[in-house]
Amino acid sequence: MRHTHSHSVRSVDHLAYISGMGGWNPVFKTVLALGTLALCLAVDRVVVSVAVIVSLAALQRVKGGLAVRDYAGLMRVPLAFVMLGGLAIACDISSTPAGDWNLPLGWFYVCAGADSAYFALALVLKSLGAVSALYLLALTTSACEFVGVLRRAHLPRLLTELMYLIYRFIFVLLDTHDRMRTAAGARLGWRDFCTACRSFGGTAAALLVVSLRKSRIYYDAMAARGYDGALRFLEEDKPWRAAQVAGMAAFWAALALLGTVTV
Amino acid sequence: MAQPVLQAKELYFSYDGRQDALSGASLDIYAGERIAVLGPNGAGKSTFFLCLTGVLAPERGVIALDGAPLRDKERRRLCARVGIVFQNADDQIVASTVAGEVSFGPMNLRLPKKEVARRVDYALDYMALQPLRARPPHELSGGEKKRVTIADILAMESEIILFDEPGASLDPAGGARLEAVLDRLSAEKRTLVISTHDMDFAFRWATRAVVFAGGRVIADGAPENVFRDRAAIARAQLRLPAMMEVFDLLCARSITPAGARCPRTPAELAALLNGAGA
Repeated sequence: MRHTHSHSVRSVDHLAYISGMGGWNPVFKTVLALGTLALCLAVDRVVVSVAVIVSLAALQRVKGGLAVRDYAGLMRVPLAFVMLGGLAIACDISSTPAGDWNLPLGWFYVCAGADSAYFALALVLKSLGAVSALYLLALTTSACEFVGVLRRAHLPRLLTELMYLIYRFIFVLLDTHDRMRTAAGARLGWRDFCTACRSFGGTAAALLVVSLRKSRIYYDAMAARGYDGALRFLEEDKPWRAAQVAGMAAFWAALALLGTVTV
Repeated sequence: MAQPVLQAKELYFSYDGRQDALSGASLDIYAGERIAVLGPNGAGKSTFFLCLTGVLAPERGVIALDGAPLRDKERRRLCARVGIVFQNADDQIVASTVAGEVSFGPMNLRLPKKEVARRVDYALDYMALQPLRARPPHELSGGEKKRVTIADILAMESEIILFDEPGASLDPAGGARLEAVLDRLSAEKRTLVISTHDMDFAFRWATRAVVFAGGRVIADGAPENVFRDRAAIARAQLRLPAMMEVFDLLCARSITPAGARCPRTPAELAALLNGAGA
């Protein structure tokens, strides 16, 4: 089942492949995401952060066809982290009452002021805006396409090819590991803590051996199709669309404007 | 006598320098043949295939293409003419989309982009994979992955295609689809060499059977003759095709006409029995 509540690597990857924005040019999406991220950070206004969060969520929903539940689920983890961080910034611990609100906890007080609370809120919203911008890229662009973008950005070939192969083999090894886990489970390998530790060690060691053996077979399979040290794949042409570029410019202009007019 | 397209003469190979995976394997392959390579696990079939595609360099022995022996440096030329479909699809798939994966071989042949795109489309159409072209391989089923690995080789337009145990992990429907593809490839005059443990398939499909044991060829000929070679069958620990066993039983009871050839499929057996009854 794909639509479970566990939002792992597989599901982010899967969402990217089924996204309605998959046909958009990946370089364009990268520019849009990074540009919006930079604007959100540079303008640094609550209203702009909120505008970024709302408009990007709407874009993912309307153009990307992403289910609200999936998007909300994926937002939950960064939200939790950012909230914790915000809380730490908003609150102070003091031995005497200070600030606008105080919570006496025995021999110390947790206190917060209106200023620090507002600052923390602005920071939380700004972080979520940044997360939204990166999700725009992550949830609409498959990892292999993104590697193509990095290659066009003249990242060394060695790095991009390694990323490409590692991405592919993550799934192969995950599959292998899943099978080993199940096989260990079928022989009561996870029945208690000690056994589980031993089973984990065993599967990890076996995975290493399997990876080494597989690497040779992969090399053979690639050599059989004429591999000579450089990975080459045909990339599908996804042209830039004038309307999309115009939309991006208008979006950025609106954000910048929003940042200047409000107090 | 016609010129073999691909010849292996007395190939020797060992992975660890001690035990030989191949010890004097020889085979002449003629254009348009359908060869079934039989033999137990560890008989050297896969190693032999890797030598034929130029991936492994035999320690001794000669590989000749169109009668011309290849020098060690020319070995890599083989992969343009000889394609191999690996047993385990996950061992072969490198790209992260189906279309990208199929383009890997033609791109390595340094074809122009337009020609690569044409071949990718041709191979995807051939294997009915167009609807999956943008999908990542880890989301495909086992049968779909197998089709992708065959499309990989079709896109290279290899004249000779080696299949390493292609039916091993397929369900009956997948197996039937595979056989239909093999028949179509054969009708298009491609040379097919298939290693298999499925004796029934080998018997009904192949025009020639080759038995490997201990890193060399111990029997080679028409499938009927090879399966009659009791010594070779025993040594390679093979079993007879079901049709042949049934035919022998019928012969022992004199139900079949004298001098009849062993039928290869149930339909042929039915025709034979109908003929005998009439």
